[in-house]
Amino acid sequence: MKQQRYLFKVLALIMFGLFLLLAVYGGYSIFTYGNRWFSYSRNPRVRAQKENVIAGDILDRNGIVLATTVDGKRTYQADEAARRAVVHLLGDSQGQVSNGVEAFQTRYLYGFEASLSERFNALLSGQPQRGDNVTLTIDSQLCTLIARSFAQHNPGKNGAAVVMNYKTGELMGSISLPNFDPQNITAATLADAGQPFWNRATQSVYPPGSSFKIITTASALQNIPDITTMDILCTGGLSVMNQAIRDYGNAVHEKLTLREAFKKSCNNVYALTAITLGDDALRKTAEDFGFNDNFLFRDLVVENSTYPTENRNQFELATTGIGQSALAATPMHMCMVAAAIANDGVMMEPRLLMNVQSASGSTRTTYQSKVYRTALPAADAATLQSYMREVVKSGTGTRAAVPGLTICGKTGSAESSLAGSDVTYGWFVGYIENPDLPYAVSILVESIEDGEGGGSTAAPVAADVFEYLRALP
Amino acid sequence: MRNDQQERTFRRDPGKLLSSAVMLFYFSAFLLLWLKDFAWQAAALAVAVPAMIWLGVNFLPHLFPADKLLLSLTNFLCALGVLVLYATNPAYAYQQAVYYGVGLVAMVVCIYLVRIIRHWRIPVYLLMPVSLALLALPLIIGRETNGAKNWFYVGSLSVQPSEIVKLSLLLIISHFMSRRKFLPWLIFAVGCLGLLMLQKDLGTALMYYGVTLMLYYASSSNLLLTGIGLAGGAGAAVLGYKMFAHVKRRVAIWQNPWSDYDNAGYQLVQGLMAIASGGLFGVGLGLGSPRTIPVYHTDFIFAVICEQFGVIFGLCVLLMYVAIIWRGATTAMAARTSFHGLLAMGATLMIGLQTFVIIGGVIKLIPLTGVTMPFVSYGGTSLVSSMCLIGLLQGVASLNEDDLNEDTRLAMLGSEEGMR
Repeated sequence: MKQQRYLFKVLALIMFGLFLLLAVYGGYSIFTYGNRWFSYSRNPRVRAQKENVIAGDILDRNGIVLATTVDGKRTYQADEAARRAVVHLLGDSQGQVSNGVEAFQTRYLYGFEASLSERFNALLSGQPQRGDNVTLTIDSQLCTLIARSFAQHNPGKNGAAVVMNYKTGELMGSISLPNFDPQNITAATLADAGQPFWNRATQSVYPPGSSFKIITTASALQNIPDITTMDILCTGGLSVMNQAIRDYGNAVHEKLTLREAFKKSCNNVYALTAITLGDDALRKTAEDFGFNDNFLFRDLVVENSTYPTENRNQFELATTGIGQSALAATPMHMCMVAAAIANDGVMMEPRLLMNVQSASGSTRTTYQSKVYRTALPAADAATLQSYMREVVKSGTGTRAAVPGLTICGKTGSAESSLAGSDVTYGWFVGYIENPDLPYAVSILVESIEDGEGGGSTAAPVAADVFEYLRALP
Repeated sequence: MRNDQQERTFRRDPGKLLSSAVMLFYFSAFLLLWLKDFAWQAAALAVAVPAMIWLGVNFLPHLFPADKLLLSLTNFLCALGVLVLYATNPAYAYQQAVYYGVGLVAMVVCIYLVRIIRHWRIPVYLLMPVSLALLALPLIIGRETNGAKNWFYVGSLSVQPSEIVKLSLLLIISHFMSRRKFLPWLIFAVGCLGLLMLQKDLGTALMYYGVTLMLYYASSSNLLLTGIGLAGGAGAAVLGYKMFAHVKRRVAIWQNPWSDYDNAGYQLVQGLMAIASGGLFGVGLGLGSPRTIPVYHTDFIFAVICEQFGVIFGLCVLLMYVAIIWRGATTAMAARTSFHGLLAMGATLMIGLQTFVIIGGVIKLIPLTGVTMPFVSYGGTSLVSSMCLIGLLQGVASLNEDDLNEDTRLAMLGSEEGMR
């Protein structure tokens, strides 16, 4: 009996434990995912509210109205090119674009956060309730410019671009091509095989290609002593597990330092570096940069990036070092990678919301910048900054250069097979080295032609972006 | 002596204040709903529900010694079910109010059974074949709903025998375990589990299994055999996963309900949306769109509570179940015989596990299995059987109280004699 009494106590404690688990898990998941669940485009509650509430306006950082409600109809900017450029960030009122501002900020735009007195006043006045106005960190004119420049340098190509402030994490602009006109969604738009509703900047993951060499370099700087001074031999055809790793144009670079290898984007040297590092060290660095993390940013939904964890043999490791294997990252995440180097190793959380104001003009909430994680030590970031400076000065990224500005960057040409055929993606990630113009970019061009690379397709777009940013007051 | 007894009862009484507050809460809640459309039913419930709470919490303790805190908690939860059902679908609420009344009566019956029957040998032997036969009935004349075949109809009344057999399971295993007879309860429990598996009623099977194993551990303190039982259960779970397509489907939905939002994941996703829509303080009683959740009135009533009253209130509801477990375990520990201890602990564990299984399923902690939320979910059999469990618990509590009073009396007599 005495024993039984004691064991009853144990059983009761087990039950308390189970209930504690319920409370902790429930609280945690509502806290982290609650807004994602709620703003899911097919939440019937939101649809009901849309009938009764006049949706709030969406503005850019300069006060330009991107979306407003006129006579119960959602209307956008007058210029079609401007409408199309921001459509993926904004989303559409029908919920075709997932996680755009229209969907993800439903809480504010449709007045779910209105206080009791505001609801009461609306009830008394007989006027329909107005949702809150949301101001974004983006510059919509920059978005229009990126879209125009992208189409000019890469006519007819799909792709994405992201521009952010590397000190604060504020998103300055982001586009995805192909896009569509939110004012004029037709049956043809809905059936388009090019998936115009898909936000390629945040939802599509691509092999990062040579732009991943930033991370391989970061890992080498942290793990291999004297790596900056040693000479590495590039034979032009490194053989790993009987498969050759070749360089662009089958080049043979002979003896190289890491700095030169980075500038020329030498695959041989980086494959060798990855093998020297080993899978654990390289993965650790990649994870420091946010790979394999579950991105839960406050106001942006970004697809997670992957550093492969299965089927890791020497060949896979070697190709990971040059950004291939099963590596996958969004243009948004690669922009954060470049931004972290620019910001002395500190990666800021990307953000899109500047502030939210009620219809009567009082501030509902403002957002503050937040550090996402420390990606690498400041000293190593400084070394990488000098490497990336070389790339644009005299390496593969010269076409991103803008006279009068110090531009740093890294190009990439990633190979992948898409629906059975081989495609190449052109990348450029980089930033302006200037504390007054703290901007990082990431440009991705899909299916570039043979003989082209990130340096010839993506880098010129970056140059136009830098040019625009320099002219900012 | 009399004073001493009164003082003790008073000390254990959490106060009339609590039951008054509960009655006021429901009175004003139903009045609020009445203001919406001035339906006479709401006004009637505003009087009837507090009246039933008064009967359940304030009047019953006059019949026999009872744990008033336990009574307050169970009555609060029963009334919460009626309230939330009225706010979502009034037709269910009227029936639930009737079941609540029936449940109170059933609880009193159970209390008296525990108080009166001192020799359970014959009843237990009678119960065994009857229970198994009852559990087998749905397989013969039952109808299949949501992949499980665990109902049958008597006239227009639907009956879920596993809810009734729950009670006999507790009586039977407590009886044999307290007498250290191993085989009879094992055969019975395995038989029940087998029949439940055949009905594909996995949630209930999980509860039966969990309670049996935990009681065995408490009664025998044999860690080795408990471990073997645990391993066997895990093995059966894996086997069930491999063998039954509907188990696989449930696990897949649990892992990612969003991947098949429009079909398989619909229910769970709607529940999560409802919880998220409520925020911390809820959208308000009778507001929101709780009826978009399939089976909002039974399995998903916790999501409805969270939408209307908010997450903080949801946590408070969890806390009430924790308090019930605490009172139940205290009663079990104070029991004078091994049988009564096991019975009280078993009833407590049954309520606790059932709550854990359904709320865990709704918030996506574990795969969803269709069991009801004790006291709150719509359903006659479920509510009455939960009240019967509380009846068993209260019966043991009242016996404890009687024994305590007897001890005090004897001690007093002894000291009086000593003085002489």
